[in-house]
Amino acid sequence: MIVKAEDFLSFLIKCQKESLGGFQQVIVPRKSKNVEEVQQLFTEICDNTDVVLDSYRTIDPLRALFYFSRETLLPADKAKKRLIVGAKGCDMAAFQILDKALINEDFVDPVYQAWREQTTIISTDCTEIGDSCHCTLVKGKPYTDQNYDMNLSAINGNYLITVGSEKGEELLKIMKDTIFLSQPHGNEKETIKKNRKAIEEKLKQQNSKYIRSEDYGNLRKSDIEGWIEDSKQCIGCGGCTNICPTCYCIIVNDETTGKEFVKVRSYDSCQLHGYAKVAGGDSPRPKMYQRFRNRYLCKFDYMKSNFDLIGCTGCGRCIDVCAGEIEFREVVRKNMQLSKVQE
Amino acid sequence: MAQANPYEVSAAEIYEIIEESPTIRTLRVKPEKPIPFKTGQFIELTIPNIGEGPFTPSSSHYISDKMDITIMKTGFVTEYVHKAKVGDRIGIRGPYGTNYPIDEWRGKDVLIMGGGVGMAPTRSLFTSLLHDIDNYNSITFLAGARTPNDMIYKQHIQGWREIDKVNFLRSVDRVPEGEEWSEEVCLITKLLDKIDINPKDNPVVVCGPPIMMKFGTMDLLKYGYAEKDIYLSMEKKMYCGIGHCRHCVIGKYYACKDGPVFTYDKILNEENIWE
Repeated sequence: MIVKAEDFLSFLIKCQKESLGGFQQVIVPRKSKNVEEVQQLFTEICDNTDVVLDSYRTIDPLRALFYFSRETLLPADKAKKRLIVGAKGCDMAAFQILDKALINEDFVDPVYQAWREQTTIISTDCTEIGDSCHCTLVKGKPYTDQNYDMNLSAINGNYLITVGSEKGEELLKIMKDTIFLSQPHGNEKETIKKNRKAIEEKLKQQNSKYIRSEDYGNLRKSDIEGWIEDSKQCIGCGGCTNICPTCYCIIVNDETTGKEFVKVRSYDSCQLHGYAKVAGGDSPRPKMYQRFRNRYLCKFDYMKSNFDLIGCTGCGRCIDVCAGEIEFREVVRKNMQLSKVQE
Repeated sequence: MAQANPYEVSAAEIYEIIEESPTIRTLRVKPEKPIPFKTGQFIELTIPNIGEGPFTPSSSHYISDKMDITIMKTGFVTEYVHKAKVGDRIGIRGPYGTNYPIDEWRGKDVLIMGGGVGMAPTRSLFTSLLHDIDNYNSITFLAGARTPNDMIYKQHIQGWREIDKVNFLRSVDRVPEGEEWSEEVCLITKLLDKIDINPKDNPVVVCGPPIMMKFGTMDLLKYGYAEKDIYLSMEKKMYCGIGHCRHCVIGKYYACKDGPVFTYDKILNEENIWE
């Protein structure tokens, strides 16, 4: 089905105001007023929200809406029924890691699971690319072709709707009852395919200088001197991990004051000095370069062993956020090359 | 799909406290509900409104309605553990992680090395083995501490030494003036010279400070133990206990889920395992 962009926006506002479909919240990317570049932030929609459904990924990772910086695990926080619109390929790909890490046969994070169950996600194709975007470098795509509830592809001021799940089916029914949806003419799919391909080409071109081998198991063999050099720019702030769509490290604090036990989780970062330090002071990674290197090994080696997927979806947020202006892609490329030389 | 909340805490009451050494005490607790566990597994102990930390019970896994937990004062939470009083209410969640596969050790000569507060998990193992001692050929326990005052479980030694098939040796690194000691004065690893060692297909368990685990393992290899027969208790920063927080990762392994009991062959290629 096809929906006009303006109709779809009015549907979202109506959805938020009237709780259509039981949604208590509709979240969209909005234009950031603080940044000169075109970059978006997720926000709850209202009448005058400057909604940007297309473009490229938001500043904040989608993960932060499913795994908040601070949540109560015991008694477990309740989740609201929500509709999130405008999720991009890199953020959607991150769910493959997060779902395996946090909802597995051994243990389930009750709050993350609740948000996952209560949320319907509408993904949208990227129509532009950011300077740090590099999904194609990690076999990702600037659009979503799996695990979405509904996907919208922009086409001449309209959107082509693709439904990907039961939640998406339900949403489509509500849309049909609320706004006008038309039948596609037939050639939309071809045009969209072309548009997608064009964005992919742009990404490949942008990242051609960062191309590297994919034998990431070699990363740990690379010369330690290289890591020491690269980490000199790192101030160990943990910004890269907090903004990463696949990072999920947390600390669990006890905040019991009465008879009931209360457990709260908050973000932590493997880049911080105290991260792996045990009582008594021992730490497996006391030096900054060790913690710096650990992030790369975690993403490309450990997560590959744990989840059979690398932990980078190519969103590039860690590059944008870095106070030390560290170019993540270049560090990977360089150290992959060094490991090759050493073999 | 609906699983129990893994962070669910059971309340427990401290019914006795044993001061084992100037820095180590054993909390004897009665949980509101029994907490069944397998020896080697750990629990997360909560001091309400202070924090929680991972500890391995030091009592036999054949007892689930009571639990002994031996804890050294070494950080923030443990400082409060050492302020706790009889009658205080604490929390326990777990058990988590892997255990010592004692059923596979039937008919074998079991060697245990426990250093300092590392004697705590090994006491759980030892007392669990004693429960069915007929199943094992022999049990040798090598205990080490820095000084005689640091040696824990003094009150049990006599009784343990009277058990057939048990050989219990102790050593201290040094004897400061004013302290008495009539047993060995050497590093715990040197006790290996003083026992009959039969490394072929027999298990050995090492638990203690990282430096002791490292050199203990190296010595055991020299004595002919196979990498797969050396059981190590890799206690890292096991914050969540359920493989979600990633603080305890040893390369691709989680100390909390894939451990804390690892055989050496599994982790020998990972980095910084002794730190």
